[in-house]
Amino acid sequence: MRKFCIYGKGGIGKSTVVSNIAAALAEDGKTVMVMGCDPKSDMSRNLIGRRIPTVLDVFRAKGPDEMKLEEIVFEGFGGVYCVESGGPEPGVGCAGRGVITATDMLARLGAFNDLEPDVVIYDVLGDVVCGGFAMPLRKGLADDVYVVTTCDPMAIYAANNICKGIKRFADRGAVFLGGLIYNGRSVVDEPSIVESFAARLGAKVMGRIPMSELIPRAEIRRKTVLEYAPDSEIADMFRDLALTICLNKDRIMPEPLSDDELDKINEEIDILLREKEETTEVI
Amino acid sequence: MDGGKFFGAFRACSGIQDAVVLTHVPVGCNWGAAMFKSTSNQPDIRQACTVMHEREIVFGGEEALREALVRANRLYNTPLFVVITGDAPAIIGDDVEGVIDSVTLNKEVVCVDAAGFKGTMRKGYEEALVRLAQLMKERTVIKNSVNLIGFCPDEFKVDADVKELTRLLNNAGIKVNCVISKCSLDEFVNAPAAELNVVMGQGTELAEHMKKEFGVPYLEVDYPYGLEGTADFINAICEHLHAGVNEKKPDLEPFKRIYLYLHELYGTPVSVIGDSHAEHMARFLDSELGFDIEVLAGNEDDYFIFEQNVRNSNTTILFGSSFERNITSELRIPLVRFTYPVFDHVCVYDDAPYAGFRGAVCLTETILNAVMGFGDKFGGLTIKTEEG
Repeated sequence: MRKFCIYGKGGIGKSTVVSNIAAALAEDGKTVMVMGCDPKSDMSRNLIGRRIPTVLDVFRAKGPDEMKLEEIVFEGFGGVYCVESGGPEPGVGCAGRGVITATDMLARLGAFNDLEPDVVIYDVLGDVVCGGFAMPLRKGLADDVYVVTTCDPMAIYAANNICKGIKRFADRGAVFLGGLIYNGRSVVDEPSIVESFAARLGAKVMGRIPMSELIPRAEIRRKTVLEYAPDSEIADMFRDLALTICLNKDRIMPEPLSDDELDKINEEIDILLREKEETTEVI
Repeated sequence: MDGGKFFGAFRACSGIQDAVVLTHVPVGCNWGAAMFKSTSNQPDIRQACTVMHEREIVFGGEEALREALVRANRLYNTPLFVVITGDAPAIIGDDVEGVIDSVTLNKEVVCVDAAGFKGTMRKGYEEALVRLAQLMKERTVIKNSVNLIGFCPDEFKVDADVKELTRLLNNAGIKVNCVISKCSLDEFVNAPAAELNVVMGQGTELAEHMKKEFGVPYLEVDYPYGLEGTADFINAICEHLHAGVNEKKPDLEPFKRIYLYLHELYGTPVSVIGDSHAEHMARFLDSELGFDIEVLAGNEDDYFIFEQNVRNSNTTILFGSSFERNITSELRIPLVRFTYPVFDHVCVYDDAPYAGFRGAVCLTETILNAVMGFGDKFGGLTIKTEEG
């Protein structure tokens, strides 16, 4: 079973990546399971076309002993098994503990043994804010991690923070960094920035998702790009990315950047931004 | 072995004997606190709990707390609820005071934040008493009266000790206004009427608070173990109150009856571990019974090091709590239980104290019996000598 996590800053496009590569792998004949580890619970929306009851919704209503697997796992586009961990309302409880509880319940109800997925993909909320959100990095739940980032300084800062979390677990031999995924949807679309960041981490950029109006169009219709525009160039990009990740054997222990190094990247972005602004003014 | 802030707060608050303590914790914390408390006072169940489970940790425990408050309000006819929050709600950030404010109850509610990871049992005890002090009222001072501060309702021999110390102080013309924390809510509210606060090992922060808020001075004294210890205790209080020194002398007859045993035990190497009373116990054993103190440790000290030190010493009697059963069993030496928690002995007769003049007799008798009753187990003992 191939198991990996997709991490990244909030709103960076993790769920877009996860749902599309899940659809691509399913199209390739694989049994795929995706688990959204985010209280927002919207990862599977594009695969299923609606929100699904979360593991924690059912846990709250029925308790751990009365839950059934079919109440928390739903089949979406291409037969992809979708699970959402769910979580508490904002401002109460412990969302991190919720991720732990949800992943425990999924295993306890036999999701991996009964459904026998070939690929399991975890889509994890933004930064690794606490131990709960690091849960997919532990206990062999995932082989490696892919971090989605744009060129924006805060996205790179978050990606660097995630790498700090990964390094902690990589030191224990639990999980490694597989690579970065570049999302071109930012103020400056300059892949070299992320290439340079990846090189300093000691990692590779596994694929690039360019800015494309097809993605929001598909999402407005609650579909993956593979379903909405299967013959498009962007759909092929997701297919390539899915296969690249699935076949990736590189296991990297990242070397997170210092604040000074991050500042340098910020300066590079600033220069590019100024150049872009000057070009716009000239036009 | 320190129980952490939650246990300290629980012990302080459950000492208000007509209050109900509502613990906002997972079931284990509640069970532990209840079990240690109920060994020698089984009908005294004035405890409710939100019983947090994983559901409450993930989604927050505020609803469970609200429900528990409403149910406990129906269940208990009591003038005071004390809500003590432990580790789990502190970690997830439950708005405990907000929930309490949102519920209409026909009684006083005091909220005590006592996450175990935030401090020691002593700190929990001190802070909880100061928190409860918001209930106290300014009162006209009663001449020659004292509050005894530092007690807990689940201490070994607490009923007998309080009875004995009250008897001794009454004999010296001193009234005990309030025993903190082993009193009614009414007595606690009226505690500022005392002329003097007598702090016995713990409760100093409450005494400081009462001095500042109500002008009640305080005196810190040793827990009165032994004849000298008791005389010093009474004399210090009398001196402070200008009540004259107590003329009544302790009865030495019981000691005369066993003087040969006491002579034989002179120089016995012993070790002591416990709460704030441990040091005072060690002083009694050393200065009055002539024992040699090998290891003296407090609950906040490293327990592993304590055990190692005891193993590496000549200790032949250990004074401590039920927690010391394993080490004394391993070393095949008697254990004299005198400090919290004692959960494998009961303490039913309240005329057999360890404190005061009568306590000196009972304690000496307990020590002798602990040694003599251990006779058959001494058979295989190898006595350590300096030559090895």
